[in-house]
Amino acid sequence: MKNCGGDDGATELYLDKELSGPDLEEFRAHLEECETCREELAAAEELSRLLHRSRPLYSAPDALRDRVMQITATTAPSTGYAPPRLRKRILKILARPLQSAGRGVPRWPVLVAAILLVAALLPVPGILRQASANSYIEAAVAAHRSSLNGSLPLEIKSESPSVVTAWFTGKVPFNFRLPDVAEQVGHEQVYRLTGGRLVNYKDGYAALVSYQMQQQTISLLVASSKSAVAAGGEQVPSGRILFHYSKHADFAVITWSTHGLTYALVSSLPGSGRQSCLVCHQNMANGDHFSARQ
Amino acid sequence: MSWSHDGAGRADSTGIEHLDGLYSYAMALSRNRAEAEDLVQETYVRAIQAMGRLRADSNMKSWLFTILRNIWFNQLRTRRNGPQMVEIEVGDDVANNIVEPSKDSYDLYVSKMEAEQVRAAIQELPVESREIILLREYEDLSYHEIATVLDCPLGTVMSRLGRARAKLRALLSETLKGSDLPSVRGTK
Repeated sequence: MKNCGGDDGATELYLDKELSGPDLEEFRAHLEECETCREELAAAEELSRLLHRSRPLYSAPDALRDRVMQITATTAPSTGYAPPRLRKRILKILARPLQSAGRGVPRWPVLVAAILLVAALLPVPGILRQASANSYIEAAVAAHRSSLNGSLPLEIKSESPSVVTAWFTGKVPFNFRLPDVAEQVGHEQVYRLTGGRLVNYKDGYAALVSYQMQQQTISLLVASSKSAVAAGGEQVPSGRILFHYSKHADFAVITWSTHGLTYALVSSLPGSGRQSCLVCHQNMANGDHFSARQ
Repeated sequence: MSWSHDGAGRADSTGIEHLDGLYSYAMALSRNRAEAEDLVQETYVRAIQAMGRLRADSNMKSWLFTILRNIWFNQLRTRRNGPQMVEIEVGDDVANNIVEPSKDSYDLYVSKMEAEQVRAAIQELPVESREIILLREYEDLSYHEIATVLDCPLGTVMSRLGRARAKLRALLSETLKGSDLPSVRGTK
């Protein structure tokens, strides 16, 4: 391999990691001896560093990101349509670390908003098999509906997760801690906790936690996994958690169990998909955010 | 990049993570925001529709960039005889920072200025240089992947890339000199 003079592109090949085997070794050995090539490489690396510092060259506008997410959520492949592909896309987004979900505040909510939009568009494959799961979903949907029509007013009104957590302590037959979303995510909080209340579930109480964003209400029902089961619907594993997506009485419901607790997130779609996902995404990205204290 | 799976069987690839890259590529080709947005949107529409035919071991990233490029050149062919509007964009963020740089964000300000100079220099290059710089330096595509996207031999990729870098180095000579200097923060 000719190594000097720059006319054979060896320096650029080396810079771009396109050299391998004997060619790579030969060029490295040549670099030791040739000041010209070292200088050429240094100049090439300097330009490359400058370009890399300016990544991305352009950031896609949020409006475009929204439109693309809608496309990915609503456009079916022309042939070979397979729900697993949608699941893969969902999983990819769910698995994405929150820190890297966006460089700016407006971006990551858009991504997570689309998760639920996608989830809501997934076909529900038949009747829920487990009666207990169905019962828990029905309880969650009923509580959400009552919360919406005002018949289940909040018993604790606070935007502070610690205050709401403290209020539930001792009132429900399990311990749990609400996440401080703004603190943990490191972004501007785009939805807010509004409070919570107790609701009857089976022979005991469950915790109904309410969130608000703009005019939309999102309900999160939390119960012990001993009495509530997450099952049925479209199953999407993420990390150690298996999420169950379904539509029930015009509401989107996501249930999952972790750390001895079972959660049911209920929201109206499509209007409240974003808010629902913001809540849900905490758990999807990090199953410990809603942590049981046992 | 390809459809691949980790040990837990989860997909680690989808198209949406290439949105910024595709938008940048569209901007490199069109130099027009509205056209770039349309290009990217159309790319995803076509990609999603064709995804069912994509093999599991396909290189999705190259595939998406190829789709975008094909759409762009098809559009160019279609309107070859019509009027074309070219709008070279200037970064609004930089303009804002010029007006009022925060005293605590000097490094960010410098970095944005630098990024804007880089963007401006790239946009001065001919289109074949713009796109190859984008694909290599910003998207980390291998020579082989670039050759696939551009539908050209590997040798052409090497020669185009060499020319593009040489032009860019000349255009950015002042910026490169500046980047050699130690930070002047706090010395003003």
